[in-house]
Amino acid sequence: MAENGSQHVLDGNAAAGLLQEIFDGEITSALIQCDACDSTEAVGSLRLYASTMGAVLRCNHCDSVLMRAVRTPHGHWIEMKGARCLKL
Amino acid sequence: MRAIESVAPPVRRLEWQLAQVREIVVETIRVKSLRIHVTGWQGHRPGQHVDIRLTAEGGYQAQRSYSIASAPEDELLALTVERVNNGEVSPYLVDELRAGDQFELRGPIGGYFVWTADMSGPLCLIAGGAGVAPLMAMLRHRDGQSSRPLTLLLYSSRSLDDVIYREELDAMARCDPKLGIVYALTRKQPEGWTGQRGRIDKALLARVCFPPEQNPKIFVCGPTTFVEYVATLLVEFGNDPLSIKTERFGPTGG
Amino acid sequence: MDTAPISRGFKSRREERAPKNRLPPGQHVTTDFPVLSAGPTPLNTLEKWTFVVQLGGSQRGKWNWTEFEALPQTTKKTDIHCVTKWSKLDTTWQGVTFDDLLKAAGLAEPPAPYIMAHCDGGYTTNLPVADLIDGKGMIATRYEGLPIPAEHGGPARLFVPHLYFWKSAKWVRSMRFMERDERGFWESLGYHNYGDPWKEQRYEGD
Repeated sequence: MAENGSQHVLDGNAAAGLLQEIFDGEITSALIQCDACDSTEAVGSLRLYASTMGAVLRCNHCDSVLMRAVRTPHGHWIEMKGARCLKL
Repeated sequence: MRAIESVAPPVRRLEWQLAQVREIVVETIRVKSLRIHVTGWQGHRPGQHVDIRLTAEGGYQAQRSYSIASAPEDELLALTVERVNNGEVSPYLVDELRAGDQFELRGPIGGYFVWTADMSGPLCLIAGGAGVAPLMAMLRHRDGQSSRPLTLLLYSSRSLDDVIYREELDAMARCDPKLGIVYALTRKQPEGWTGQRGRIDKALLARVCFPPEQNPKIFVCGPTTFVEYVATLLVEFGNDPLSIKTERFGPTGG
Repeated sequence: MDTAPISRGFKSRREERAPKNRLPPGQHVTTDFPVLSAGPTPLNTLEKWTFVVQLGGSQRGKWNWTEFEALPQTTKKTDIHCVTKWSKLDTTWQGVTFDDLLKAAGLAEPPAPYIMAHCDGGYTTNLPVADLIDGKGMIATRYEGLPIPAEHGGPARLFVPHLYFWKSAKWVRSMRFMERDERGFWESLGYHNYGDPWKEQRYEGD
């Protein structure tokens, strides 16, 4: 797996605030399945990147992007095409 | 799928509230705990965190997340902050902040990295440095219960002087035969130290952790590299990855 | 509108004085160089590194590291502005301008009006070619005279300093010409399609 400046990597816990704004509820304990490699993990345990711009949550096994989210003054954006499903 | 988690109270909309510092506790040379009062605070579950926001004259703002270190039963909310060199927020919180000062706060946030006393099974808490903060909320909550699970705190720290909450932890362990605390001192050990020297390794885990068959609830918190390293060891040890809950601290925002 | 309560004594540690006309609206000067990535830092061996200029289905130019380093080099000293509100003044970058890249690819002029930059790890960003030519854009390989550190986009990153720095895509590996504009990684998730810091175009709708 590619190495990273890993001290800059957080996890879904750190995105919980942004995700709670979007889902209007707590989803870090939800399970999410990666469409690329089938692995299932809790949203809170996913690796989080780019947290100052929004949230890019990646699969721990294959690094696929499972969820991307941004808060803008004009509203929130979220995209989850890398995830097969979310179990709340 | 996995067993359903205990029912949580409904989640409120996140809104910024005013927090006032009531007391500052010096924990170590680099670490202080801020005991704060938040008007209208509705409570939290051990392991959750808050976002705080500081506004400077002129409007500049900085936002960071900190784990809540106090138990839900405690009167004041406690945030434990480690000073990060060249950081922007932590040096302010550790060196400048005084009782009576205020900042904005929202929370509690997070439902994944949470333990409450109604969760069954032995409890395995593994902390790297300042990552002990949310685990302390769990321990303080546990300490107030009449019935407590078998619990292990495995705490990796640079030296004994860097162990946060040391007196409180030692007192908890002295009074509770069901609580074991094991320190791994990575850089400096006191004279005559018989405990772990250096970082947590497979041998130490084998010696102190609950065997996977006992289905322990496992929580690992600390710097990212620490968390990933320990989680890998725990999985190699035979624990189900889904039973290991992790919280990566990063450079705590600085 | 409510103003946020002031926290006594808090100020930005990283702030520096800057002449007002150097700083776009809403920005603060920083002395450090924050790392922001949408994914893990790719491991790159220079032996395997290639850079491609793509048009339709064909490669109009392809260079390995040695060949790329042999292209004409340009040094630029300028300010950079991140959409997360930090700016860094007087930074020095060296690399191959987009103009020299086109020449090396045998293209007398750009064959299409838009570019998508593709990077290791899957990051993308889109730009009008007009914002790359005439020295406005380069593929940078040196920062302050030294090879760009991996966490800052090395061995090579796109460098388009007149736009917000998310457009200066790290770990760039190819530039693909497009007849029609398509949105890249951040542009498709609420960030502004163009990103002019002087007009404070941070988000779609600004």
